[in-house]
Amino acid sequence: MSSMTIGGSQLDASWFLILGAILFTIGAAGVLVRRNPLVILICIELMLNAVNLTLIVFSRQLENIEGQLFALMSMTVAAAEAVVGLAILVDIFHVRDVEDIDELSELKG
Amino acid sequence: MAIAIFFIAAALAVAGGIGVISFSEPIRSVLSLVVVMLALSVLFLLLSAQFVFVVQIIVYAGAVMVLFLFVIALFGPARELARTRLRFQSWLSVLFVLALLGLIWAMLQGIQYRQPEPTDLSVFGTVQSIAVGLFTTYLYPFELTSILLLVAAIGAIYLSRRPGQDQ
Repeated sequence: MSSMTIGGSQLDASWFLILGAILFTIGAAGVLVRRNPLVILICIELMLNAVNLTLIVFSRQLENIEGQLFALMSMTVAAAEAVVGLAILVDIFHVRDVEDIDELSELKG
Repeated sequence: MAIAIFFIAAALAVAGGIGVISFSEPIRSVLSLVVVMLALSVLFLLLSAQFVFVVQIIVYAGAVMVLFLFVIALFGPARELARTRLRFQSWLSVLFVLALLGLIWAMLQGIQYRQPEPTDLSVFGTVQSIAVGLFTTYLYPFELTSILLLVAAIGAIYLSRRPGQDQ
């Protein structure tokens, strides 16, 4: 039931899902390990892309268009979030050079 | 041949992903992410998502990544500290991430795949089928995303004022 007929061959949905899981965890590792805020934002975009892949895979496996609509919404939200996140970063970079994300800790209690 | 395309695109995507987190210069991370997005768009096309394939290239790789490149161009290469707050932060992170991957893999084993409802796959994922869903059933989320984009644009304009401007 998880196999799809694509271009004459049988592809299994679980392959795509495992690829999505691997990309998601690579992005999560990047968020945890890297110190530069810009690179952390890039790794968050990687995680969002992995989730979009999962949505499209299930849309194709269930032959239901709603997964692709959800992925389009997710792309829109990701674009808006990238815009605002980068605007905040640019604001911070105008004032000082951030080398380590832990320097941005003025809001801590 | 579809299987070959899948494995080539998947290998490119994973290589790009590892490149995103490994390169020390942010410009190389951004370009690796562009490679990932192009590989994923090939996979979307393989999965009968023609419109999402085009939107991924135009919007994601073509606009969002260009935004990142502009920020890097404005502020130059970043210096990243080599030391971290916690000792062994890298090893702990890899451990947690492998545990997360194992958890997701275990979840994937237990999926009950449903039988797909019979659909005409030749028109699946075309602009028309997306438009039918987007403008009838999902009109409300569509309008909300347009408001979201307006708010994001206003926010970006406001946040990028020079200090000292009041208007």
